Formats: sequence, C-alpha cells, structure tokens
Amino acid sequence: MSDILELLVSAASSGCIYGLVALSYLVMIRPTGIINFAVGEWAAVGLFAAFFLLTNRWLPLPYALALIAAVAFTGLIGWGTQRIAVRPLVEKGAPILGPILALLGMLAIFRESISLIFGPDPHNLPAPFGLRQVSLGPFAGTPRDFFIIGCTAAVFVGVWLFFERTVWGKAFEAVALNRKAAALMGINLRRVTVAAFVGGAAIAGFAGVLYSLTAPRDFLMGLPLAVQGFSALVVGGVGRVEGAILGGMILALAEQLTARYADQIGIPSGMSLGVPFLLMIVFLLARPTGLLRPKEAAA
Amino acid sequence: MTSVISRRLFGACAAAAVLAAGAAAAQDTIKIGVITDKTGTAKFYAEPVTEGSMLAAKIINAAGGVLGKKIELLIEDDQNKPDVSATVARKLVDAGVVFILSNTSTTATQQQQTVSLETKTPQLTPSNSGETLTTQIDNPYFFQTGPLFSYQINTLLAYTRAKQFKRVALMTDNSELGQLVARSFKAGLEKAGVQVIVEEVVQRGATSAVPQMQKVRAANPEAIFQAGVLGPEMVLFFRAYHQLGMKTPILGSYNLSIPLYLTMAKDLMDGIVIVDAYDREKPEVKAFEEQFQKEYGRPAFNLNAYGYDGVRLIADAIKRAGSLDKEKIRAAMQATKDFPATIGAKGMKYTFPPGKRTGFDPEGVVVRLIENNAHGRVVHAGQK
Repeated sequence: MSDILELLVSAASSGCIYGLVALSYLVMIRPTGIINFAVGEWAAVGLFAAFFLLTNRWLPLPYALALIAAVAFTGLIGWGTQRIAVRPLVEKGAPILGPILALLGMLAIFRESISLIFGPDPHNLPAPFGLRQVSLGPFAGTPRDFFIIGCTAAVFVGVWLFFERTVWGKAFEAVALNRKAAALMGINLRRVTVAAFVGGAAIAGFAGVLYSLTAPRDFLMGLPLAVQGFSALVVGGVGRVEGAILGGMILALAEQLTARYADQIGIPSGMSLGVPFLLMIVFLLARPTGLLRPKEAAA
Repeated sequence: MTSVISRRLFGACAAAAVLAAGAAAAQDTIKIGVITDKTGTAKFYAEPVTEGSMLAAKIINAAGGVLGKKIELLIEDDQNKPDVSATVARKLVDAGVVFILSNTSTTATQQQQTVSLETKTPQLTPSNSGETLTTQIDNPYFFQTGPLFSYQINTLLAYTRAKQFKRVALMTDNSELGQLVARSFKAGLEKAGVQVIVEEVVQRGATSAVPQMQKVRAANPEAIFQAGVLGPEMVLFFRAYHQLGMKTPILGSYNLSIPLYLTMAKDLMDGIVIVDAYDREKPEVKAFEEQFQKEYGRPAFNLNAYGYDGVRLIADAIKRAGSLDKEKIRAAMQATKDFPATIGAKGMKYTFPPGKRTGFDPEGVVVRLIENNAHGRVVHAGQK
C-alpha cells in the first residue's frame, strides 16, 4: 500500500510537468489553431535561463527571483518567435501549416543555440531541496515532488481564472470559437495572438524549470518533453484548461503504473515506454476531441 | 579524331593526377584523422579522449616525430550521429590520412567501419567497449583497445566472488549503447550462474525512476548492476535509490567512471564501486598526468589517457611499418605486442593476439570505490 501512495506522488509530479507542457500547447492552439512543437525548446530556454541567472558570477539572483525572471525571459522569447515565425506568415495569408513549419525551424535554432552557448553537458539546476523522502499525510515523496505539484496547481488556477473571469480570457474564447466574428466584434486578433504566444512560452519555460528539478538536463531535453506534453494534450483535449492537467496526470499514471506493475499481469515492463503512444492512438481513434470537450460543444 | 583528343586529354588528366598523388605522398607530415563528438550526446566522453590524443601528438612531435615527419591530427566532429560519422570518415580518407582514430561512441564507430573497410584505411578506437565492433563486421583494418564490456562484468564478478551473489538486479536506459552494455552484462552474469531477477529500464527524458526502483526494492536483489549510459536518466536512478532509502550495493559500468557523474550525481554515489581502467598509482599514469597538467593547466583523468594511448599506438605502428603505406601500417598494428599502456591495471600492455583485433588485456580492468564525491582507490584488478 505504501508503494502505491509513493508512486502516486511520483506520478503526480511527472503528470504536472506533462500537464504544463500540454497547457502551453493549448494556450496557443485555442485562439490561433497553431500547434507549436517548439514548446520543448522553450522549456529548455526557461531552464537554461534560470541556470544562468542562478549561477552566473556577475550577479547571481536569489532563487525565486531567478525563476520568475527566467519565466519572463521565456515569455519574451515567445513574443520574438511569434514576431519572426508567425505574424509575417499569417498576415500574408499563409495556410496554418506555414507557421507550424516555421516554428519547427525555430525549434532547431533554439536547440543548437543552447548547445553553442551552454555546451552539451547536462546542467544541474541548483535547488534548495534535499532528496530524502518526506511524508505528507499518507503520501510520501521528495520535497521536489511536492514543490512541483504546488507550483503547477498555482499556474493552473491562475490560467483557469484568466479564461473564466477576465475580459481577455473571454476574448481568447471568442477568437477560438469564431475568428471572423470575434474580429468583427472589435477583438484585436493580433494582440490575442501575441498574448497566446507570450503566455504559452512562459508556461513552457516554467515547465522546463520544474522538469530540471527531477534530473540534470541538456540541450536535447526538448523533444521528449514536447512529445509527452502533446500526448497529454491529445488525451485531455484542447477544449479546456482542465483537460491539459487531466491528460498529464492520466499519462504519467499510466506510464508509471505499467513500469511498476505491468509484468505482474504478464506484460513486459519495457512496454511502459510505448504507453504514451498507445494512449494517443486510442484517444485519436475513439475520442479525437480528448476527454474534456469545450463547454459550448458539450452543452 | 575526337576520340584521340579525349584520349590525350584523359592522358593529361591522369598525369596530373599522378603528379598530385606524388606530391601528396611526398607530404612532410603524417596525417592521422581523429573523429570526435564536439556537439552531440557523446561529447562529454569523446572530447576528453581527443584532448589526450592531441597531447600525445604534441609530445611525439617534440621528440622528433615519426619516420622523421611530424604527426598532423585532422580532427572532425561527427555529432555522435552514425551517418555523419561515416561521411567525415570518408572526408578524412580523401584528405589523405593514413589512420583513423575513433574517439566517438561505439555506434558511430561501427558506421565508420564501412569506410575503413572499403578504403582499406586502418582504424583504431582507443576507448569504445562494445564487443560488436569486431564481431559484426570482419574488417581487418579495424582495431579496438577499449576495455570490452565482457571484461568489465567479469572483473566486477571477480570482485564480488567472495560475496557469492545469486540473485541480482540489472539497471539500464533505453539508449542503444545502454542496451548493448546491459546485454553484455546479462550474458556475463548468467554465464557465471548469477540470476538476473529484475531488469529495469529508465527511458530517455523520463521524469522519475521511482516505479522501477520500487520494483527492484520489492524483488530484494543482493546487488544492483548498473549498465546505463545516459547521464540524466542515471541520476534519476540514483535519486530514486536514495529517496526509497535503499541499501543494496551498486556495481557500475565504466560509464560511471566519467567524472561528470561526480558533479551531476553529487553526494549520491559514495560507496558505489565502478569499473575503470585507470590506476593513479601507476608510474605511467603519474608521468602522463604531469604532462597533461603542464599542457592544459588542469588535472588529467581516465578518459584523457585513452586518447593518449591511441595516438601512441598508431605512432608506434607507423614506426614499425617504416613507411606510410596503409597496408604495411595495418600489418604493423596487428603485430603490436606488449606495448606499455597508460590505461589499465598496473603493468598492463597492449597486444593483438593473432587473429584478434581487440588489444585490451582481459586482466587490465580495475574496480574503484567512489569516496567523498571522487574516484577513490583501486579495490580490485583483473578477472581472477
């Protein structure tokens, strides 16, 4: 029994990271329809920015400040990416595939730039936590796990409130529902796109920082993270913010439960590597909208 | 008429080509190609090996070179990508190298063999340990002096013989090399009558190794043999091990002897034993470390010595061949016998037994203890 409670904490913290990456995709897809696979590289930008801010010899920042500054910097990178790879194409009337491919090109630029600046060695983000297991009620995990879960919860609550309670959030939804009508109603499409990319990048950057708390990471960290996040998005659905975290949690649980228990029912545990893809295939076939549908569609 | 002209033209071109070849043959340096990884996943072990190679070339040149000529290293980056690796191997052959030194990963080196075999260019890897390098392709031009995985596992088993382990766990990652090490380790363990009761894989990019380590904990093995090669994923393994309060002894492959682990997994590795091929008490190592410190202004470590030995072996073969003919150099390399090694246990020498192209002495692997976040003393040597 204690094993499963331990596993739940570990899966929840992994699920939070996947969920944040899924949320980053979602924030951009909803208003623009653009799937941005560079989110993994943005996560790497966030992590390496945090690493630099924490460990540089000129002006090392205090921990919380460094994390906030790194996330803000990634948001800025998101703005720049949007300005270079999305806006010119959209304004020239390119089909949606145009920016998606341009963003794939940006992905390679980010990855190689990080490799050039920081070298290819894995970098250990300093963290003010020990590795000893601590208990929170019946649940046991490392302080890192609980930190990741707490931070993710805060981000999701914040984004949920943004969509549900602010005019800006309503504008996002309006654009998602009907781009043309929203524009006619006086919603500035360009501003919504900018906000989506800045927000998406900041969330991805934060996911990268949390991801690196689990182990040292190198410049190649983006792709596996982008794939996991995308799987979580497919499972949870692009319609609602809650879908992203739900998808992340389901994915991480499925992964870790198979790694732990699958061989007891005769499935080799190596199969857990295929779980994200299996889940993605199942959902694409059976429920392509994901678990949670947009409210209007559900109503 | 046209055919006469074209024949003459061809003749002229051929003559020019012969002249050019003559000029190349009369070069005043001996070109040795070095394939390393400057930008990819193998960089953290390939580049230190190459530093050692550069030092050896410098020392040999300072002492007058080989056959009265200076050694010139042509260094190429393969990004640890097998296809790129084969391409740069071809580029080096075209540039006129007489030998290729492969300091990159086992999988990339394997791909370069297609080029060395086809162009009949001798090739040596001083650091790769994959057994498959000399078993999958029958390439008489390829030589390997890295400590084979089977030697590694047999040495670990010899070290633990007194403990008589019967049931152990095997831990690796899903990289190609990690899988290769695990297969070799498993074969060695089973041959010795040790049962692998649980075999776990941490996948690239994973966020936790807790489920895998819970399984290991539940299976309660007598020891954990570690065969993974991906840094972050192995750090996850060590973290989960500590998080779950485990005490089972860990025995690591020589991948853990890469010093980067000491900082990546700081405070997590003390008390672990690892396979290595380096003994700082050896006089050869002391002399090498002194020269390295002088050249680079920082202390040397095991990986530097592999590349150092590689260039020394090649220079020795060229010297004995007495010419820059690639076939003669190949034959000389194959005839290498009792060449004193910097790498390996005390007194180790490189020899290619007749018909074999692996030159590392099976008794040359050592087991070292990690103490205070540093590679500590040698606690065992050899397979006996």
